[in-house]
Amino acid sequence: MSESARKKQRVSPRISGDATDHSSTLYNDLHRLASIAPKPVTPFRRAASAGITPRSATIRTPGTARTPRGGPATRPLPARRAAPTTPHAIRALRERANAARTPGHVRRRSGRVQRETPRDLLRNLSRVLARNTQPIEPTPKAQQRNRHSALDLPDIEDDEPTAPRLSMPLDDMYDDDSFNEEPPRPSLLAPLPDYDYDNGTVQSVEFGRRARSEDPRLDRLFGRRISEQFGDLHDLTINGEEYELDGNFINRRGTLLPNELLEQVEEEFEEGNTEAEIRALTGRARASDTGDLGVFGEVEGEEEEPTFRFEIRPRIEKPGEDEESGEEEEHGDGEVDDNTPGELEETMLEDDDEQPALNLVYDNDDTAPVLASDNENGPLEIAGWESEPENLDDEDLAAYRGEVSAIDRSLQTPAPETPAKRRAGRQRRALNISRFGHEYPSFPAATVKMLANGFVKGQGSKSKISKDTLEALVQTSDFFFEQVGEDLAAYAGHAGRKMIEESDVIALLKRTRQVTDSSTYFFLAQKLLPRELLQQLRMQPLPKLKRQKRKRMEAIPEEDGDDE
Amino acid sequence: MPQTLYPRGTVKKIVKAHANRPLSKNADILIFLKYALFMQEVLKEAGIASKRSGERGVSARSVRKVREGCLRKFKG
Repeated sequence: MSESARKKQRVSPRISGDATDHSSTLYNDLHRLASIAPKPVTPFRRAASAGITPRSATIRTPGTARTPRGGPATRPLPARRAAPTTPHAIRALRERANAARTPGHVRRRSGRVQRETPRDLLRNLSRVLARNTQPIEPTPKAQQRNRHSALDLPDIEDDEPTAPRLSMPLDDMYDDDSFNEEPPRPSLLAPLPDYDYDNGTVQSVEFGRRARSEDPRLDRLFGRRISEQFGDLHDLTINGEEYELDGNFINRRGTLLPNELLEQVEEEFEEGNTEAEIRALTGRARASDTGDLGVFGEVEGEEEEPTFRFEIRPRIEKPGEDEESGEEEEHGDGEVDDNTPGELEETMLEDDDEQPALNLVYDNDDTAPVLASDNENGPLEIAGWESEPENLDDEDLAAYRGEVSAIDRSLQTPAPETPAKRRAGRQRRALNISRFGHEYPSFPAATVKMLANGFVKGQGSKSKISKDTLEALVQTSDFFFEQVGEDLAAYAGHAGRKMIEESDVIALLKRTRQVTDSSTYFFLAQKLLPRELLQQLRMQPLPKLKRQKRKRMEAIPEEDGDDE
Repeated sequence: MPQTLYPRGTVKKIVKAHANRPLSKNADILIFLKYALFMQEVLKEAGIASKRSGERGVSARSVRKVREGCLRKFKG
C-alpha cells in the first residue's frame, strides 16, 4: 500500500517536469507508459487471499500477512483451490511454494518478484536506461531559426571549402624524393637480417631476448625472475653452442663453487629418504637462491620438471666420469682453452665456453683447492645439459650411462666428503672468488660455531655442534652472504647509490618481515647482538635514523601509487 | 649469545666481494644482525628436522636439508 503511494508521488512530478521541458527520452517515455499502465494489484490479491484462507481469521491486518507463518503460506492456498491447469499457473504455484520454504531475506525478494507488474517492469527499464540517455535537444535548429537566414548561409558555404586535403603534399613528397628513401634502406637494414641469418634458425623474437641474456649484469640482478628465465631458456637450448657471449655465462655456471656444495647436498638427499621431487625442488632452490649462477639458474629452470631432472642426473654423472680424468688434467694446466682433446665435439664446445672468461682467473687461483670439486661438478652440469642430443643418438651410451650412474652414486658418496674436507681446510686459508672476480674469505668457522652454539643452547638441547654440522653451517653462511650481497647490491643500485648503506640492509630486513612497524631493528639487535655492536649501532646512526623515518613516510604513498 | 665481536672486516670483505660495492660504516653490523637471524632460523629448522628424523642434536644432514628453504626465506 505504502509503496504504491510513494511511486505515485515520485512519478507525477517528473512527468509534469518533463512536459514543461519538452524533452523526450526513453526514460521519460517509459515513465509515462508506466503511469498509464494499470497499477499493481498486490494489495488486492493479498486481501483476497487473506479473506479466502482459513487462517485469515487469525490475521487481522494485511501487514501481518507478511509474517513467516501467514504471508507466503497463505498464498499457495488460493492457487490450489483454483486447481492449476496451465503450465504457467503450475510454475507460479511452485514458485510460491518455494518462496514459502525460503528463509526470511530471500523470501522478501521472492515476494517482490511476485508482485511485479508491467508497470514495475517499465519503471525498472526506465531506471536502467535513464543513466545513458539524455534528452534530445532540437535546440540548434531553433537557434538557427532565430538568427537571420542571411548570416547563416554564408557561414555554411565557407566551412565546406576550408577542409584541408592531406593527401596532396604527401603524394608530392614521395614522387619527388624517391632517391632519398632507397639508399638508406639497404645500408641500414641489410646488416640486421644478415646477422639474424648468422644466428641460425632462430626467429626474430629470439633476437631481443638473447640480448638480455648477453648482458651479464642483467642476469645477475634479475636472472632469477621466472619471466626472464623463459626467454633465456630458449636461447640457451637453441643457440647455446653458437654464441660465445652465452659461453661466458656457461663458464660461470660451471666454475661456481656453490654448485659443488649443492651437488653434495643433492647426493645426500639421494642417499637419504628424500625422493625425486625433493631433489628437483632443491635443484630449483639452488638455481634461484645461490644467485651466482646467472645462466645456470636458467638452465636449471628448464630442467625443473621432475621427470626431466631424473633423466639428467645419470647422464650428468657418467659423461662427467669420462671426461673427469681428461678434464682434471686440463684444469690442472690452468688455461686450457683450445687444448681440450675432444672426443665429443659438444663437450669440446662446452669446455671452450667454460674456460675463456672466468676460468682463467678461477682456475689459476683455485686449481689446487677446487680441482676435485670443479671437475666433478662443473663438467657434470654442462655435460648433463648438452648431452641430451647425444642420448638421442646412442642407445649404448644410454645403457652405459645407466650403469655408471648406479656405480657413481656409490663412488660419489665418499667423493663429496673428501673434497668438502679439503675445502674446509683450505677455505680458512685460501680465498674464494666472487662473480666479480674479488677474492673473499669464507666466513670464519669460529664465529659460526659461537653463534650456533648460542642458538642451540637457547633451544634447550645440550648437545654441541659437531664438525660436520659446523662445516655445513659455514657453507650455508657463505651462501647466505652471497645472497645478501647480491640483494644489497641490487637495492643500492636501485637507489642510484654506489655505496651500500644501512637503509639498504633495513630494506632487506623489512622485505623479509624481520623488521616491521612494531619491531624495529634495535629490538632485534638487542636480542641478538653483543652490547658493543649495539652501542655502535645506536651511537652513530641516530641522526640518520630520523632521516630514514622521514624517507619511509614519503616512500609509502609512492609505493601505494605504484601498486594502484 | 655471542660475547665477543664478530670479525667485522671479514664480513665487510665478503659482502663487498659479492656486491661489488663498498659498504657504509655500520651497514655490516646490520648485515651481521641479519646473519644472526638467519643462523637462528637455520638452527631452529634444522633442530626440528633432525628431531623429526629421530636424530640427536643438530646434524649436518638436517642443516643441509633445511638451508635451501631458509635461504629462500631470507631472500630479499
